[in-house]
Amino acid sequence: MAASVARDRLPPLVWAAVLIGAAIMVAPLIWTLLLSLKSNTELVGNSGAALQPPYTLGNYVAIFGSSSTTRWLLNSAVVSLGTTAGVLILASLAGYGFARLDFPFRRSLFVLVLLGLAIPSQAVILHQHQLFADLGLHNSYPGLILPGLIGPFGVFFMTQYMRAIPKELDEAAMLDGASRFTIFWRVILPLTVPAQSTLAVFTFLGSWNDYWWPLISATRSDMYTLTVGLAASQMNYAQTSGLGFLMAQAVFASIPIFMVYIIFQKQIVRAMAGAALK
Amino acid sequence: MPGLELRNIRKAFKGTEVLAGVELAVAPREFIAFLGPSGSGKSTLLRIVAGLETADEGEVVLDDRRIDTLPPGDRGVAMVFQHYALYPHMTVRENMAFGLKNARVPRGEIDALVSDAAKVLEIEELLDRKPGQMSGGQRQRVAIGRAIVKKPRLFLLDEPLSNLDAALRLRTRVELAQLRQRVDAGVIMVTHDQAEAMTLADRIVVFNDRRIQQVAPPMEIYSRPANSFVARFVGSPAMTILPARLDGGGDFARVVLGNDARVDTRVPRNGLPQGETVEIGMRPESVRVCGLGEGTTDAEVQLVERLGERSLVYARLRDGAAITAEDEGTTSAKVGDQVGLRIDGAAAHLFGPDGTGYHRQAA
Amino acid sequence: MTRAERRWDGLLFVAPFLLLYLLILIYPLLRGVWLSLHSVDLFGDGRFVGLANYARLAADPVFGQSLVNTFLITLMIVPVLTVIALALALALNRATRSAAILRGVFFSSAVLSVTIVTLIWRFVLAPDAGLLGELWTAFGWEPLPFLSAPNLVLPALAITTIWWSLGFPMLLFLAGLQQIPQDMYEAAALDRASKWTTFRRVTLPSLRRTTILVIMLQTAAQLQIFGQSQLLTAGGPSGASRTAVLFLFETAFGRWELGYASAAAEILFLIILAVTLTQYWLTGRAREGEDGR
Ligand SMILES: Nc1ncnc2c1ncn2[C@@H]1O[C@H](COP(=O)(O)OP(=O)(O)O)[C@@H](O)[C@H]1O
Ligand SMILES: [Mg+2]
Repeated sequence: MAASVARDRLPPLVWAAVLIGAAIMVAPLIWTLLLSLKSNTELVGNSGAALQPPYTLGNYVAIFGSSSTTRWLLNSAVVSLGTTAGVLILASLAGYGFARLDFPFRRSLFVLVLLGLAIPSQAVILHQHQLFADLGLHNSYPGLILPGLIGPFGVFFMTQYMRAIPKELDEAAMLDGASRFTIFWRVILPLTVPAQSTLAVFTFLGSWNDYWWPLISATRSDMYTLTVGLAASQMNYAQTSGLGFLMAQAVFASIPIFMVYIIFQKQIVRAMAGAALK
Repeated sequence: MPGLELRNIRKAFKGTEVLAGVELAVAPREFIAFLGPSGSGKSTLLRIVAGLETADEGEVVLDDRRIDTLPPGDRGVAMVFQHYALYPHMTVRENMAFGLKNARVPRGEIDALVSDAAKVLEIEELLDRKPGQMSGGQRQRVAIGRAIVKKPRLFLLDEPLSNLDAALRLRTRVELAQLRQRVDAGVIMVTHDQAEAMTLADRIVVFNDRRIQQVAPPMEIYSRPANSFVARFVGSPAMTILPARLDGGGDFARVVLGNDARVDTRVPRNGLPQGETVEIGMRPESVRVCGLGEGTTDAEVQLVERLGERSLVYARLRDGAAITAEDEGTTSAKVGDQVGLRIDGAAAHLFGPDGTGYHRQAA
Repeated sequence: MTRAERRWDGLLFVAPFLLLYLLILIYPLLRGVWLSLHSVDLFGDGRFVGLANYARLAADPVFGQSLVNTFLITLMIVPVLTVIALALALALNRATRSAAILRGVFFSSAVLSVTIVTLIWRFVLAPDAGLLGELWTAFGWEPLPFLSAPNLVLPALAITTIWWSLGFPMLLFLAGLQQIPQDMYEAAALDRASKWTTFRRVTLPSLRRTTILVIMLQTAAQLQIFGQSQLLTAGGPSGASRTAVLFLFETAFGRWELGYASAAAEILFLIILAVTLTQYWLTGRAREGEDGR
């Protein structure tokens, strides 16, 4: 099936509308960038100054001088990478179990997992907060990571993907004397790399950008993730009036995520194609 | 007893019986073909031997050791899958080494076994490629190679040639025959292609309706089918089988067809079941076209199939029964012609009311 | 390999996930239902009050307003977002380099976190230090107090959200467009269908399921809108932009009325569940419709 791509030229009016739209998309980003390149004092009471030079990298230098921003960056990295690794491991194991093995209550357990897709996070977040308080896990990396591991989507996604791998491969491996775990580890898992990378990108994006949970779980500023740290900075903005510095923080915080996006564009687009197909 | 023994194997899927008490003995180094219509349980039985399926009842014994309780990897059998089932992410070398690694064979030995097998199969230059970069025929060889390196006592092949195009299929058939001389192991091959079974197998096992219908060397299956199912299933075009009536005769049975044509067979009279209703079976090559009124019976030509050195003539007897006959490649018979048919009674088979086959005495 | 081993080893693969899942998702979910029937504060497990929390919610004008605000902002966002995303997908479903760049531009905001988005938009919308303020002043107008006027604040949050959320629906529509078989367009061209007819008779019907998916995903997401209102306006002025989840947050973590907050969470859960089920029902029907073609 040939993919359908329009081949005619865009009418000039439509073209103009799209360009205006693009300008609206980009203008706030450029504005932020310009503000971040101005010294704080210049901007006091006159943010319009952002439109003229002189520009300076002083705010960015200040970020590296401020231990909190770099600490938040570290926290975000640990939490996002930890969550991503955890999701990949748990979802792959469970996906293999559901897709390939027969065990008591398999169907009912899978349905139980699917039901989780319909549970919005806000329906459980208060009680997760209580649970983690009881376990004494707030303001810790496990406390920030664990709730990110239970999304049913990963399990569902890996199960579907593994179901599509021919069963003959498992059988060939069984005749080759491979154990259950060897079959999983050496035969099936390497074949799921495309699915793993898609799941990884989405988990990473979601975890990096998560706000609700770290907001209530990380209450000590040295355990803030970048999202929560930036929220705290902007709440305090009225006191500090360091507008340029604040914007530099925003730019700085978006650099990793933009890099992930640019590197993994393909996975994102492919996942969307999968969703539209379902 | 060395070799493979299947004892009273039963298997049902969700209440539907697929194998109803199968018994079979395979000699060491014997090449066995499982032949039968699709859905007759051939693959299921093969997979029970391999350990990919568990029988509900019965035993699988290989070289006097009961293997149905062992995991597939410990049974001393290797399998070639219909779609090859090569590991797509591994090179050919890794594919072939995988089973040996799992068996903790030392590295040096693995390398030697793999390169030996690669030499035999002439796939040395493919060793560092992945399955995705190879043709169907090459993948087939690798799949066989992966089985060979394990030095199994029994090879199991499930329709190994069915994914190849016609030319490649013939070539691979020849190669399988040669290969078979080189390995010191038995072979069981599932197929629904009778030509394949006839050319390769020492013995053919014909399956139908949950049961083994006949186990015999190819020519015996062809010339002495155990029952009318085997008779119809083996041979192309199929044997003509018509209702008939026993009618006197001496030591050998004489039968009368529906249209009163009389055929003297060489099937011994005694040993036939009581009653006079039987069926007569005639292969096309024992029914020849001749001039009107000159043969055993007359018929109207329905279709002529010219095959070059001979022609097949599909005709109808006066009572409407369909019969297949043979004629010269240069036949003049045309659709609608009335012709005579000479039936070679010496080559005819009889089938009792329960389908059991009766044949002329073996020479 | 005995049969029993074969049957139980599968559980080992799913157990790690399932245990966490039961502990961190299912247990809190059930506990939430239980708590919503109790009066609970910081200092203990409280006492059973039956449906009193729900009755109190029904009578609470603050909760009522937060629900109304949530519905209003969802209504402002979802239709506009869907139409713009579809229009962009139609315009940018081209193999040219400029189309690819523009797709990237329109998607870029989607990878940002809500804190960055609100940070950016705070200084677009603010009348004294914002980009729009500068623009308005440049035209000689009085800057509009987007974040402090009760009738402007919800639209301002809606615009922020649309800017932020455009990317994924656009990609979904693009993927949907790519899956329309080319031969359907060729058949339409042979039938001398006009562009407009082709769009209405071929493109739109083929995008039905994608459209339902986009609308429902967005509805479920926007009913849970939180960060924008918490960060940009703290629900103000005087509750004009307080959303349901913000109400939940304030009740639970501001006033520590956990039972009461739980009841609010259950109400919101039911509303979102209803939306999700509607989606399954609608896609089911859309699929039947397609099979019937
Ligand atoms: N895993 C299974 N579950 C249910 N039925 C099966 C399964 N495998 C095979 N069957 C059924 O058993 C019968 C025999 O199948 P099979 O052994 O594959 O036949 P063959 O290889 O002779 O074509 C078929 O009717 C098939 O539908
Ligand atoms: Mg089969």
